[in-house]
Amino acid sequence: MDSNNLHFIIVDDSKLDCFIAEKVIQNSGKDLNVKSFLLATDSLEFIKTVPTRNDDFKIFLLVDIQMPLMNGFEFLEQFETLHADIQSRYVVYILSSSINENDINKARRHPSVIEFLNKPITFSSIAGLIENL
Amino acid sequence: MKPEKIKVLYIDDEVNNLNSFKAAFRFDYNIFIAENTNIAFDLLKQHPEISIIISDQRMPDKTGVEFLEEVRSIYPAPVRMLLTGYADIEAVIGAINRGNIFRYIQKPWNEADVKSAIDEGYKFYITNSMLENKNIELQKAYNELDKFAYSVTHDLRGPILSAIGVINVAKNVEDITEMKSIMEMIEKAMHKLNDFIENTHDYYNLKRGELKITDINFQDIINDIKDIYEINCRVNAINFITKVEQVETFRSDEMSIRIILNNLVSNAFKFQKKAGTDKMVDLHINVNRGSAVISIKDNGIGIPENDLNYIFDMFYRATTEEYGSGFGLYNVKDALMKINGKIEVQSTPNEGTTFKMIVPSK
Repeated sequence: MDSNNLHFIIVDDSKLDCFIAEKVIQNSGKDLNVKSFLLATDSLEFIKTVPTRNDDFKIFLLVDIQMPLMNGFEFLEQFETLHADIQSRYVVYILSSSINENDINKARRHPSVIEFLNKPITFSSIAGLIENL
Repeated sequence: MKPEKIKVLYIDDEVNNLNSFKAAFRFDYNIFIAENTNIAFDLLKQHPEISIIISDQRMPDKTGVEFLEEVRSIYPAPVRMLLTGYADIEAVIGAINRGNIFRYIQKPWNEADVKSAIDEGYKFYITNSMLENKNIELQKAYNELDKFAYSVTHDLRGPILSAIGVINVAKNVEDITEMKSIMEMIEKAMHKLNDFIENTHDYYNLKRGELKITDINFQDIINDIKDIYEINCRVNAINFITKVEQVETFRSDEMSIRIILNNLVSNAFKFQKKAGTDKMVDLHINVNRGSAVISIKDNGIGIPENDLNYIFDMFYRATTEEYGSGFGLYNVKDALMKINGKIEVQSTPNEGTTFKMIVPSK
């Protein structure tokens, strides 16, 4: 997929949840492109290779918390060490099934995280994200 | 079995006292003697199971109170007693009040007093160490409970939320084929939920259940497992080879054995290479001279070396391939511990994994 035209990245170890997010985003009626990663490490590698651009085009990054190998928080820590030019291209949300307050607060404390979203993702939550941009 | 003698350390700068003490009590107790504090510390280091320390008060390098205070900071477990005459009573009261000594024995001592002091002290020592062990166990149980509660909410909610999400998606789907694939996804999520609940049940049984030792017929257990995997074998073209060599009686807890075999076989089936040909799972059980050697081998995706040390940890998952609760191997380890079994794992990524176990007959 052409990264110039990418609107959403999903990082979630559950194939089903990736599928749901893809469907919800694609069916939002706004002609949005989405790419999902089952492994947080793969998504980081991808993000590093996306060429920087000068305009203010943004990509939404929806990250799950509980994932094997690299969890959402470990991902955020790595992400936040990336060059500011790269980081500024992404609008980061945590998308999780967790109802644990520690998780929610920890996610919100991350400077790169806009908000903590609860699963499952819906048409209205996608519309809300785009409106907030 | 004869109970082991209580180990008592006695320190006194007068060698005559040491010798008469040892002569008087060596039949009842295991007596260690030291004529200065350096020797005493050496003995404590070499014999951590010393449970009673009796010290003379008046010694040239330091007083008994000073010595016992120092001992307390390094070896808090043994019960400390002071041996002294009336002249030192002030020091004794101070030491008792500061909690440095359990009791003092008056000098010159008589046998009955010393014996009762040692026996009382030992009771105190045992109670304390039992309490300590209980506390450690309790702390461990709490930590596990925290981890458990956290993961349970995640693992129970995950599939439910997935199902809700995919049902939302389905509302806009007209195509019947797509609808069918969505139904399959919901089915998968529900299976995952069910697996998790079954694993939780196993977990609870292992933690709280008593062992029920009966005669184990491995062929019967294997037949049950083969029935469960018959369809899986056919659909996914997996060759399930089983071999049981059992001529002698084997006694163990059948539920533990089943939990172990079910989990390991389930993993062997689950972590096959998607596009693999000649997929196989090989289960071999050999009962010989009072122990069962069980090996479960697959030629699946294998486990990366870095993860091998963690696979038996609760909720550890080494892969996003397939679903897993991170519960299975933890339960295997727990079950094996209950029946005194040992497990080894060998794995090469992309070539496969072999689990080998030895379980003694009870």
